[in-house]
Amino acid sequence: MPFIIDAEGIVVRFGDFAAVNGIDVKVQEGVIYGFLGPNGAGKTTTVKVLTTMMKPTEGRLSVGGYSTAEEPRKARDLIGVVQQHIALDKDISVRENIICRAMLHKIPKKEIEPRLMELADMIGLTPYLDKLVGNLSGGWKRKVAILCALMHEPKILFLDEPTAGLDTQSRHMLWDMIRQMNKRGTTVFVTTHYMDEAESLCDVVSIIDKGMIKESGTPKELCARIGQWTVEYDSEEGKRRYRFFSDWYDAQAFVSQVSERDPATRKTHLEDVFLEETGRDNMKVTEKRLRV
Amino acid sequence: MSLIGDTMRVAMSDLYYLKRNLPILMATSIVTPVLYLVAFGYGLGKDITMEGVSYMAFMIPGVVALTTVTSSFTTVANKLMVQKRFYESFDEMLLCPISKTSLILGKSILGILKSMMCGLLMLLIGYFLSDDLQITPMLILCMILSCMVFSMLGVAAGMIVPDLPRMNLFNSFVILPMTFLCGTMFSLDALPEVAKNIIGALPLSQTSACLRAAALRWDFPWVSLCILIGYGLLFYGLCLFSLRKTN
Ligand SMILES: Nc1ncnc2c1ncn2[C@@H]1O[C@H](COP(=O)(O)OP(=O)(O)OP(=O)(O)O)[C@@H](O)[C@H]1O
Ligand SMILES: [Mg+2]
Repeated sequence: MPFIIDAEGIVVRFGDFAAVNGIDVKVQEGVIYGFLGPNGAGKTTTVKVLTTMMKPTEGRLSVGGYSTAEEPRKARDLIGVVQQHIALDKDISVRENIICRAMLHKIPKKEIEPRLMELADMIGLTPYLDKLVGNLSGGWKRKVAILCALMHEPKILFLDEPTAGLDTQSRHMLWDMIRQMNKRGTTVFVTTHYMDEAESLCDVVSIIDKGMIKESGTPKELCARIGQWTVEYDSEEGKRRYRFFSDWYDAQAFVSQVSERDPATRKTHLEDVFLEETGRDNMKVTEKRLRV
Repeated sequence: MSLIGDTMRVAMSDLYYLKRNLPILMATSIVTPVLYLVAFGYGLGKDITMEGVSYMAFMIPGVVALTTVTSSFTTVANKLMVQKRFYESFDEMLLCPISKTSLILGKSILGILKSMMCGLLMLLIGYFLSDDLQITPMLILCMILSCMVFSMLGVAAGMIVPDLPRMNLFNSFVILPMTFLCGTMFSLDALPEVAKNIIGALPLSQTSACLRAAALRWDFPWVSLCILIGYGLLFYGLCLFSLRKTN
């Protein structure tokens, strides 16, 4: 099956710093694709490239079978995006923002209102429709941004850290909404820091660090790759250490070796994979990066 | 037709903004020109005549010119700058199926509307202050044209200028001097030859010349009108160029 998002060899340089350094992104139609990475890994930059908001320094990209270099218009019509920085006009009301966005996408006038009401009902935005966007809390602003992105019924929805700053209820509601959209046939590309979220939501995930993709696959596959059983124990300096095993009996054998260091055996989570791939101590990385 | 339709789609959010804030926006843009009229027209220029008319009659078209020009430029430039840098809503507009020309025109609508309202209000005030002044269709047309030209410059500035301090710098070193010097409140003949030629070539000088001739029924400076249109095309090109670069 052809990929609905098909990017090859994407490089984005700012000066001589490569924020994205030669990545391939292949997303199949109908999946929820998780893009995971620590701060500054290049997630937002990748989203900007995939949504055609930024031209990559190198690489080629097609969206829905349309090359973005040759037929950007056709590719763009398939895309809905909710950026990390909520891109709304804050000095007009929620309803006005949504109507403006719908008009820009040339949705027929008489369809705007019913669709707006349907979506607002689904997200629980109805009571806020006539409030100024600037006066809403961060979570509600994000919901408005999501509603705006959904107005033209995009085939592919990009969400750049949609749950950052949302309370637990809203996060769960948003996940449900994403699943619901996905069931209706929307392919979802979502970036996040939250591993539990990615694990429960995404069919496929990629882990990106320092502009390069470290791992790709279903959450289960990734866990199996490092070993589906985790043994945690205390090191001599008192730090928590982790060892991964494919086999339960190997894990138990190891537990008996470190029995006096408070060991515990559990299933490997996506979070473990993430930390193994991106380094448990990523502050060092950040420091180096800031100097660039 | 889709050009006009699309232009209005782009302008929509700005129109909602205008509707919400009309009195405040009007009040802030009208204060300075009214002060000019009172201070210079009444205070200083009561007994002066200039180029054959009373100073008040001479000055009012100039003040109308500077009102429309500064208000269209600053409104558009600041709004676009905020949408681009702070709201970051502009980039998403680029994803919508809208042509670049509609985008540029749409973004200038707010400036054209607001500054036309301010300009007409000033004209009305001026009409009661001086008997020599006439409101002619040509005058209105010239006002609309200059609003369009400077709104376009505002779009270009909003696209190009990266931050608020630099925008203020541009305002203080380009726009503000133009409002004082470009034949708005005194005749360019008063200046030394070199200065007269340089300042006379600036777009606001063309606007003042056109508005004044139209309002006082002098010989119409068609050359100025053409130069003004030329500036409009130049600014439009600048907008297109900067849009291409960001996209
Ligand atoms: N316009 C720019 N100019 C220069 N450097 C940039 C620019 N945009 C991003 N970068 C750099 O590129 C790197 C990747 O940034 P990006 O925003 O893609 O990270 P991210 O993975 O989205 O991080 P976060 O999780 O914090 O949102 C960072 O080091 C950032 O400083
Ligand atoms: Mg980001």
